[in-house]
Amino acid sequence: MEQPVQTETWKAQSLEELVRILHQIFAEDKVSVEEVQALMESYESNPDEWVQYAKFDQYRYTRNLVDNGNGKFNLMILCWGEGHGSSIHDHTDSHCFMKILQGNLKETLFEWPEKKGNGEMAKKSERVLRENQCAYINDSIGLHRVENISHTETAVSLHLYSPPFDTCNTFDQRTGHKHKVTMTFYSQFGERTVC
Amino acid sequence: LPAGLSQWFPALEVLDVSGTGLAEIGAELLSLPCLHTLLAKNNRLGGPGSLPKGLGQSPLARSLRVLNLSGNRFAEVPPALLQLRGLRSLSLGGNRLHSIPPDIQELRSLEFLYLGGNFITAIPPELAKLPSLKYLVLCDNKIQSVPPQLSQLHSLRSLSLHNNLLTYLPREILNLVHLEELSLRGNPLVVRFVRDLTYNPPSLQELAGRTVKTRNVPYAPSDLPENLVRYLSLASNCPNPKCGGVYFDSCVRQIKFVDFCGKYRLPLMHYLCSPECSSPFSSASQSSTSQSESDSEDEASVAAHRMQKVLLG
Repeated sequence: MEQPVQTETWKAQSLEELVRILHQIFAEDKVSVEEVQALMESYESNPDEWVQYAKFDQYRYTRNLVDNGNGKFNLMILCWGEGHGSSIHDHTDSHCFMKILQGNLKETLFEWPEKKGNGEMAKKSERVLRENQCAYINDSIGLHRVENISHTETAVSLHLYSPPFDTCNTFDQRTGHKHKVTMTFYSQFGERTVC
Repeated sequence: LPAGLSQWFPALEVLDVSGTGLAEIGAELLSLPCLHTLLAKNNRLGGPGSLPKGLGQSPLARSLRVLNLSGNRFAEVPPALLQLRGLRSLSLGGNRLHSIPPDIQELRSLEFLYLGGNFITAIPPELAKLPSLKYLVLCDNKIQSVPPQLSQLHSLRSLSLHNNLLTYLPREILNLVHLEELSLRGNPLVVRFVRDLTYNPPSLQELAGRTVKTRNVPYAPSDLPENLVRYLSLASNCPNPKCGGVYFDSCVRQIKFVDFCGKYRLPLMHYLCSPECSSPFSSASQSSTSQSESDSEDEASVAAHRMQKVLLG
């Protein structure tokens, strides 16, 4: 992704319109991170528009595919029960946008572990993302862990990954050791995926 | 609750009074015979009269399946709650609990128990007597150890222990064959191999008891005083598979590291009959350390096969 000649200021009035504009943006050769982030943030979350994708699992957070962007990106909705969190992970050289649709998510950023490192991973920063905020990360920025730290509220987030990827590395916070994992979808286009 | 609720809505099945500032749920609740789900999170419940009197004797004791009291002010689990025998799902997340009552075992139908975000310091072994428990959340508490009896929770699929004060886990955790999710981040788990060398030498009684057991010296209740018969029945087998020994009170605590999923090393507590038992070749040396670690890798590959996802990271 590089800076385009002119940057549009988009306002997505609905989830459907957001997807439509994303297709338009990604049809170009060059896409701007700032443009996509602003577009995602401009969409005011309306649960009626995404409830069909928001399938929760009792035991862990779920990944629900909304749109596969003609191969250019994956747009998905993640559903986090109370206390659900992810491991520390990277983003396989892709861009990752994360917008909160409901509730709050805590994002903790970590430095990449040293090559020979065998110690506790270093925390860079942490923040709590509120409804409608959109965060961005890629591998050059670092690694992160995302968690719903609420014991009373669920959380729902909208993620865009470009290019799409289905494997990544998870990291052990205590040692920095990494482990490749394959990610799966709990549902696709509103239909539960049976594994 | 408004008076006359049960007259207006006699068939009510789900009642959600979350976020209404309630300090007490009144007796109107007891006249809702069809109620199976009560959501009362984010209120001001927690004082003595929070739940109506006679809850345990009402039809709700059989019919109520889901109870969510998260985000309230409970400093202890109200005893009346433990009489809800039909309860399948209970959440007391984000309250002020300092302990879990042993009588939690009364909730025989419980499948889902959320106690995250409290001030709990210990887990009572009686919790393990819940035969249907599938999902146990104890994250964000002050728990220092996990009782080995927890391995008796045969139905457990997901165990959340992140953000506590655990330094190790009991090795029995490997017995949870249906466990698919285990979260342990944010605990001060020991990373390097630690050998606890403080060892109280066994008493003469213990040495005699060990000999009787390991040599299969025959005895009948009439041969010995009752207290010694009872003592002999308490022998524990040394978990080292290469040792046939037993121990009574005198044992060595040792922390072994077991690999799950190839990369994550969990410190598991072992009790061994003597310091020499750490390896089949004798005393404490570098080589015995690596041997005992490879022993643990054998059991680790079995465990890794069972435990599919470990959310340590």
